[in-house]
Amino acid sequence: MKRQVAIVEDEPAIRDNYAAAFTREGYVVRTYSNRKQAMAAFATRLPDLAVIDISLEEEPEGGFELCRQLRALSAELPIIFLTARDSELDAVSGLRLGADDFLTKDLSLAHLIARVNALFRRVDALRKPHETSQVIRRGPLTLDGERMQVEWEGQVVLLSLTEFWIVHALARNPGHVKNRQQLMDAANVVLDDNTITSHIKRIRRKFQSIDPTFDAVQTVYGMGYRWVE
Amino acid sequence: MSLRLKLLLLGLLTLALPWGGCRYARQMEAALREGEKNSLQAVAQTIAASLQGRTDFLYREGQEPAQTAAPNQDQPGTQRASSDQAGTEEPQPSPYDLQPIVLSVVPYLDGYGDEWPRAPGSWRYFTREGHRFGILTGVNERMLYVLLSVEDSHVVYDAPGASPLDPAASGDRIWIGLQDPTGNERQFFLAPIAPGSTPARRIETGEYGQQLAVEEPRVIGALQPNAKGYTVEVRVPLSMIGHRFGVLIDDRDVRGATPVSYGTLRSDDLHTVGRLIVSAPELTSYLAQFMQPGLRLAVTTTSGRLLAQVDALAQITELSRQRGILASFYRRFVDRPGDRKYIESQAPIYDRDHRSIIGTLRATETSDRWFGLRDRALTQMLNFTLITSAAAVTAMFAFAAWLAVRLSRLRRASESALTREGLVTTFPETESPDELGDVARGFSTLLGRLNEYTGYLRTLAGKLAHEIRTPLTIVRSSLENLETEGQVPAAARVYVERARQGSERLNAILIAMGAATRVEEAISSAERSRFDLGPVIASAVDAYRIAFPERRFAAELPLEPVVIDGAPDLIVQMLDKLIDNAVDFSPAGATITIRLRMESHLAVLEVDNPGPPIAPETLGRLFESLWQSRRSSGESDSRPHFGLGLYIVRLIAEFHGGSASAENLPAAAGARFTVRLLRS
Repeated sequence: MKRQVAIVEDEPAIRDNYAAAFTREGYVVRTYSNRKQAMAAFATRLPDLAVIDISLEEEPEGGFELCRQLRALSAELPIIFLTARDSELDAVSGLRLGADDFLTKDLSLAHLIARVNALFRRVDALRKPHETSQVIRRGPLTLDGERMQVEWEGQVVLLSLTEFWIVHALARNPGHVKNRQQLMDAANVVLDDNTITSHIKRIRRKFQSIDPTFDAVQTVYGMGYRWVE
Repeated sequence: MSLRLKLLLLGLLTLALPWGGCRYARQMEAALREGEKNSLQAVAQTIAASLQGRTDFLYREGQEPAQTAAPNQDQPGTQRASSDQAGTEEPQPSPYDLQPIVLSVVPYLDGYGDEWPRAPGSWRYFTREGHRFGILTGVNERMLYVLLSVEDSHVVYDAPGASPLDPAASGDRIWIGLQDPTGNERQFFLAPIAPGSTPARRIETGEYGQQLAVEEPRVIGALQPNAKGYTVEVRVPLSMIGHRFGVLIDDRDVRGATPVSYGTLRSDDLHTVGRLIVSAPELTSYLAQFMQPGLRLAVTTTSGRLLAQVDALAQITELSRQRGILASFYRRFVDRPGDRKYIESQAPIYDRDHRSIIGTLRATETSDRWFGLRDRALTQMLNFTLITSAAAVTAMFAFAAWLAVRLSRLRRASESALTREGLVTTFPETESPDELGDVARGFSTLLGRLNEYTGYLRTLAGKLAHEIRTPLTIVRSSLENLETEGQVPAAARVYVERARQGSERLNAILIAMGAATRVEEAISSAERSRFDLGPVIASAVDAYRIAFPERRFAAELPLEPVVIDGAPDLIVQMLDKLIDNAVDFSPAGATITIRLRMESHLAVLEVDNPGPPIAPETLGRLFESLWQSRRSSGESDSRPHFGLGLYIVRLIAEFHGGSASAENLPAAAGARFTVRLLRS
């Protein structure tokens, strides 16, 4: 059964381009240009994944509202924000609403599709019985590559897909300094310094909310970051 | 010229007030003097009128004696016939008339003329056959004083013990002749037997016809020899004297010889020839009743001879005594040289019929009287105007100073307002209701608009980036779709590739344009912690050595920790921008120096790079947003340059309570970028 991807985007050209790319990848694509339309459709049937723009026609923050409503309908549904906005505040708000990733539109289609694929893989992995082949353990850290899930001292750390990939890249080779470019490649994104910094900051904060003494992600000034055990 | 100085100069104009006051005082003085003169004239005329026809007051004999006697044969002279009616016509003076001066000091009758005033013009001289004597007469109270200076080579005294009437014993002899009030001629003589006091004698005929020399105690004389001859002083009560008075000298060279007689008496019968013109004794006391301090009244004969005078000029009046230091200081500005110290007025005294003039009343007043008055007014006025001027100048100066303070406050505010990119929220002086307040409000409004405008400019990049991102996404996604669909002819692929590269660059530009906003966000959400700058910079420099193999990096770091309160991530980001800049503008192989030092409460980070100098006019603008004047000397690269790097440096420096600046190194050795951070 083909997976259904919903694209909520008010710019027709972008919407159609994305739709074409997803269709080519073998997904069934439903497109909506505003929140009302999308919610009406989601009420009858939920998609397998939703790609949402923040500003939707008359509602400049309609995407956030839609995300909240979708999350209320389903806790597991992968939601990706795809927006022209790149402010830190928007990213924080979006991720706090339970989005799995927050992407800007300068992301290439290939990267976008890679993410969507990855998210579907995770959904699949979560449904299958637990496998340990892809699991990396670094002290209190348990990193499940298949499920894209991270645990610290046995507690699940809720990371966005980008964050997961950054942690994954760092923790795979502890002590090795990963520079910004390497982290961006790992996360399949193009980000500037400050965005990387804020991702790292968010990652630390999420770990620290479980363990206030968390200190495993270290800054090597001028070079990048490394995982310290 | 500062505002303060200008207002001060303006204030000095008020000094025209005292100047005008001085002029006014002068005019007032002239008016006063005129008035004083008039009143003095009135006084003189009044007194003169009261003396009209009072010849008896002016002259002892009740009338001014006319020329009556013919001259004796020894003293020829031309005299006009005297009028029968004395006083009706101006009498002609005779050479034998004696006009005594008014003596203010009573001479001590000792034969020395020391106490007598020096009055060369009042001496009368008489000569005969080489003999000569001078006579000076004076009046004091009711006494006539006579001073004789006789030139005599041989002073011959009478023989002591001998009768003064013995011709053989006679020496030099001084005869005094007078007409008594009843008109009888009387004679007295001095027959000195030694220097000193000598009695006067008169010759009386005894009962049997014998002549006796009787001492006359009312007449006192004294004689003293001197180098030229001798001096005689004689005192005669005026009451004894009528109209006429004379002196005759009998000069003998040997005792008992025939004398050479000369003088103002007829030598044969010793009768008087000349008049004694002297005022009535009552005249002085009459004048005295008009006296007041600072005034002198004098009555003179028609020929100008002083008859009587009362003098209180030297008496200090109440007013003039009040002259203080200030007054005398002011007077130096007001008084003009040539101002007379006295004013004078005279009035003729007529006879009873108002036909002829019998004398003149001369009134003199010292100027002290009205000077005192003027000085008091002048002092008060000048004090007042000077105080007013001083107050005005002080007030103007203070006002100017206050204005200057306000203006400079305004200026400082406007200067700092412009340099801080329109972050001004409050502006001084806007509450003031005056013109300065208007200016300040104008400034404030202007800055408000400027603020809005700069705010608009600052967000423009972000807004533009946002707006461009959507169409760019359309382009990029379309291109990607086009490529993946695989329907692009081989010949067209190159164009698709170029379009893709172009859109990638456009994307990079957009990221760069949004960078400033993201830095501002990052800064506002940055967490501060205390950390040592040294290791952070050392670590970063190590990274630069790897990142930029074509440059050399020299780090000069202090040994002791340089602790600041801030975000190490941001510091490194700031250093990244500085190094990016240094690398861009330095040639390959150049050494970039990173220096950290401490300066009182600051940590100073310097990045030196060899390379072209920065144009001086752009030095101050390097750290502004979107400012890019320097062209990179390095090879062309595809990285967009938006001048945001140094703006980010400034933002981060300011976040750490510091500042960023740029300067050229001496001798065109390159550029230095300095960041000052507050140490904790």
